[in-house]
Parts: sequence; C-alpha cells; structure tokens
Amino acid sequence: MAQPGIGKKTNTKVEDQSSLKGTLASVFLLGFFLIITWVGVYFLFLDRF
Amino acid sequence: MSTKSINTIVDRRDGKLAMAHFYVAFIALAIGGLAGLLQTLVRSGKYELPWGIGYYQVLTVHGVVLGLVLTTFFIMGFQLAAVSRTSGALTDKQRMTGWIGFWLMTIGTVMAAVMILLNEASVLYTFYAPLQAHALYYVGLTLVIVGSWIDGAALIMAYASWRKANPGKPSPLLTFMAIVNTLLWIVATIGVAATVLFQLLPWSLGLVERVDVLVSRTLFWYFGHPLVYFWLLPAYMAWYAIVPKIIGGKIFSDSLARMSFILFLLFSIPVGFHHQLMEPGIDPAWKFLQVILTFLVIIPSLMTAFSLFATFEMFGRSKGATGLFGWVKKLPWGDARFAVPFIGMLAFIPAGAGGVINASHQLNQVVHNTIWVTGHFHLTLATSVILTFFGISYWLVPHLTGRVLTKAMNKLAIIQAVIWAIGMTFMSGAMHAAGLLGAPRRSSFSTYGGSEQAAEWIPYQVAQAVGGSILFLGIILMLYIFINLAFFAPKGEQEFPVGEVADAAEKTPMVFENWKLWIGITVLLILFAYTIPFIDMIQNAPIGSKGYKFF
Ligand code: HEM
Ligand SMILES: [Cu+2]
Repeated sequence: MAQPGIGKKTNTKVEDQSSLKGTLASVFLLGFFLIITWVGVYFLFLDRF
Repeated sequence: MSTKSINTIVDRRDGKLAMAHFYVAFIALAIGGLAGLLQTLVRSGKYELPWGIGYYQVLTVHGVVLGLVLTTFFIMGFQLAAVSRTSGALTDKQRMTGWIGFWLMTIGTVMAAVMILLNEASVLYTFYAPLQAHALYYVGLTLVIVGSWIDGAALIMAYASWRKANPGKPSPLLTFMAIVNTLLWIVATIGVAATVLFQLLPWSLGLVERVDVLVSRTLFWYFGHPLVYFWLLPAYMAWYAIVPKIIGGKIFSDSLARMSFILFLLFSIPVGFHHQLMEPGIDPAWKFLQVILTFLVIIPSLMTAFSLFATFEMFGRSKGATGLFGWVKKLPWGDARFAVPFIGMLAFIPAGAGGVINASHQLNQVVHNTIWVTGHFHLTLATSVILTFFGISYWLVPHLTGRVLTKAMNKLAIIQAVIWAIGMTFMSGAMHAAGLLGAPRRSSFSTYGGSEQAAEWIPYQVAQAVGGSILFLGIILMLYIFINLAFFAPKGEQEFPVGEVADAAEKTPMVFENWKLWIGITVLLILFAYTIPFIDMIQNAPIGSKGYKFF
C-alpha cells in the first residue's frame, strides 16, 4: 500500500521548545521603551534649560 | 537530614503571628485609601475639607499609613510566613521574638497616629527638618523601626537554625530572599534611626535649639532609597519564586535570582544622593558617583525582567506555544494569584522608565518635586508592589486561616486589579503629565494668584480625582475580599505555592550565603559613597535651623 505522506518533505518547521526568542524580543522592546521615554524628557530639558 | 520538619503548610502559631501583621496592614489600607481619595478631591479644586482639617494633615496620614505602616507590616508578616513555610516552623523563642517585634511596631504606630490626628505632627512621612513634629511622633516611628528589627531578628534566628541543621547546603530560595531583604532593611534603617535619635528627637524636646538640615536630609535619604527596595524585594520574591509555581512552570534560575538580590543589597544603599540632586551643599562629583551606582541597579532590574519573560516563555512553549509571542496566550489569565501580580509587573515597565529619568541629573531638573514624582511612585509602590501584595494575600490569607479562595472571590480579585489598573492609569498618567507642565507635588489646591501656568494643571487635577475615585472603589473591594478570606470563606486547604527550579538550571553555588563577604562589600561601598561628603557637610555646616510648625 502506498503510504501517503511518506517521501514528501514535511514543511512545518518544528520549533525548538527551549527557544527564548520571545524573551529576547520582549527585553529589546523594553529597552527601546526606556530609551524613548528618556530621550523624550531629555528634549523637554533641552527645550527649557 | 534536617532535624526540623519542613512542612508544606505554615505552622498555625506562625500563621497567627503573620496574620496579626496583616490585620494592621489592611486597617492601614482603609485609612490611607480614604485619605488618598480626599487628597485628589481637594486638589481638583471642587471640594474642601470639612471642620478645618488641613490638607497636609491628611497627606501625612496617607504617607505614613500607606508608605510606612502598610508596607512594613505586610512585608514582615509575609517574610515570617515565607521563612516558616520554607525553613520549617519557628521555635517558641523565635516566635516570641516575632510577637515582641509586632507589638513594638503596633504601639509605635498608634503613638505616631495619635500625634498626627491631634495635628501635632503634620510634617509628612519624610519628616524633613526644619519642619518640627511633637517628640512622640518621632518616638512612635522609632518604635516601629525597632520593632521591625526585632521581627527581623526572628527571621535571622530561624535562618541560622536552618543552616545549622543543613550544613553545606544553600538555604531555601524564599528564606534566602527574606534574609537579604532583612539585612538591607537593618543597614538602611540605621540612617533614619541616627537622624531621629541624635538630631530630631533632642531638637523637638527642646534639648538643642537648632538642627543641621542637610545632614538630617542626607541621613534620611541614606535610608529612603533602600526603603523603596525593601518594598520591592518582597514583590520580587513572589515574582521569582512563587508565580512560576502558580502558572505550573519552573523558576528560570535559582542562582540568577540570588545574584540579583545580592546586587540589590550592594547597590541600593550608597545612592541616596539621587534624591538630593537639586540640593546645595553636596559636591557634584559625589552626586555623579552615586548616580553611577544608581544606574548599576538597572542591571539586576533587567535581569529580573529577563528572568520573568523567560519563565513565562518556557512555560508557554512547554504547553505547545509557537511563534514569537504565542506563549502569552498560554498563561493562566483566569487565576487571580497570577493575573493580579502580572498587572503589577506590567506597571513596573513605565515605573522603571520613570525611575531612570528621575535619576538622571538633568532630567531630574525637569521633574524634581513635581507631581510627576508622585505619579512615578504610585506606579512602583502603589501598583507594582501593592498589586503583588494583594496577589499574595489571595492565597496566603486563606492558607493561614485554614480557608480557601473561592471562584467568586477569585473573579472579584481580578476585577479589583483591573479597576486598580484603570484608576491608576488616570491618576498616575495625569500626575506624570501635570508634572511635566510643572505642577508641584505636596501642594493643596491653589490657582497661584490666577497664574496662567497653574490654570493648565487643573484639567489634569480633575483627571486625578476621577482616577482617585476609581482607586478608592478598588480599595473597598480589596478590603471586602480580605475580610472574606480572613473570616468568612469556606474552610479548606489553600496551597502556599513555592516554585521549583528548572531541571536545566545550574547548581546554586554556596558563595551567595557568604554574608561576611556581601555585608563587607555593602559597608565598603557605603563608606566610599558617603564618608567624604559627610565630612564636608559637617566641616562646612552653617548655623542650624530652628524648628517650624506650620500646623
Ligand atoms: C485610593 C488610592 C490612592 C489615592 C487616590 C492616592 C492619592 C495620592 C495623592 C493625590 C498623593 C499626592 C498628594 C500631593 O503630593 O499633594 C499621594 C501621595 C502619596 N501616596 Fe497615594 N494614593 C493612593 C494609594 C496609595 C497607596 C496604596 C500607597 C502606598 C502603598 C500610596 C502612597 C503614597 C505616598 C507614600 C505618598 C507621598 C506622600 C507625601 O508626599 O508626603 N498611595 N497619594
Ligand atoms: Cu531612590
């Protein structure tokens, strides 16, 4: 009997369970947020003093 | 093997001691919450306090009762429960020590409260000289601190007996964390004890006429910054070591958690000058040094953020989550024990960003003494920390009283946190905005003689009152849940969750328990950051100030 699927390459990538790329993205977003708010108030400072 | 039994249940007698602390804490929440509501109403300009009560008297109640009493009592109760749970029941002697600490703290609180209510101490919770309160206010606050030291002694004794029974082993993570926080507290409170005992008390008693304001403020802020870490670390205890268990995951790394606590101990004390950046009489070079040390605290803070994200992602992926953020959906959003502290964690993102701004000298000039600062610490303390404390209460109170958190209460608890988040977005958001426009903190309503700039602040002050009213509703809900869990919830066994470490994590090295090393470095850093500035201040001291009583 022909076995359906066999010989066909599976295209779904199995993601590594131990991947922490979401964590990496999250800390980067956090870092950007810190920088943006800081620079925002810094420009207020430049503007006023 | 250990000779002490390690239970999964906190010993009943230890539970009573912890609950005694919580009763005081939640009474404080009720009183302080009402004061907070009144403040926002007054500041909106649409309401005046009755019976000639002064704004600053109410603000003193709010700051003392929430900033000092609620926090210290809750933290001591939580740490006693956590140590008893993870290192075994306290011995009779340790428990007795804890009770002595509790009663001293309570007597001190009552003394300070009576003086504030008699309008003899409307000097705010920071009691800066040259504002002068009645001597009994200072005595009362001193008793609170001495009582907390004795509570701390009970914790240290319990830790020492665990170490003795388990030679060569690292202590349980929650016990370790409670001990770091206790040490931080003891080292920090020496500063405030010094200014109260050697300066403010003799001066308020009339034994000396004048007080050195700069020295007193410096001693206060030597204490004031680690104070905020004393509030924060118990929340971190829950985030690092308890929340992973609640979601069904693992602690990312035991060593990383201990390392970050040690870094907080080292870097949170020699940094008080970042509260005094606008103050004359301190050499800018030393301010600069302390600002650098302040920025080092960003390291353990980001370590914490990383570790929490990693815990959540690892858990989500173990449940089959894919993609960049698929794990977010796998978290147990319906469980108040997780969702409530999680909202607290989220609030810490803008809170931390604000903190970095505050600590930068130039930017501090933009926000110093504006209501921005109040907005900032209502995110750190009154949201991140407090929502985490509420989240802890939802399982700890029923655990200690032999009851359970019912489905209905769980739901109410989540609603409570959402209400808090909404109210705080209004109040704190408006505070940040008004602060950037120059609105001062610690100020009753005023049009400042019809000033145009002051008129710009009024819409934001109204928004603060809207937020404050929503928050007050949140406080009523919280009190209702607390009373239910303490007295009325069905009997049963509520788990005290304690996280386990991920299998892949490294073994914890013993160096973290080397207190001689860590306390030694802490003391060296403090001496380095403060010795020369103090010599400067004392050698070049102006004639001191007489006391002022504006109330
Ligand atoms: C109903 C909820 C709350 C409201 C409406 C509220 C409102 C306020 C307002 C309007 C101020 C500043 C007033 C001014 O500077 O003139 C203030 C100050 C303060 N709040 Fe709150 N707050 C609330 C909850 C909390 C909580 C839960 C905590 C702490 C756990 C807290 C701690 C403080 C502290 C320490 C101050 C500083 C007092 C001072 O500057 O002397 N607040 N609050
Ligand atoms: Cu600080």
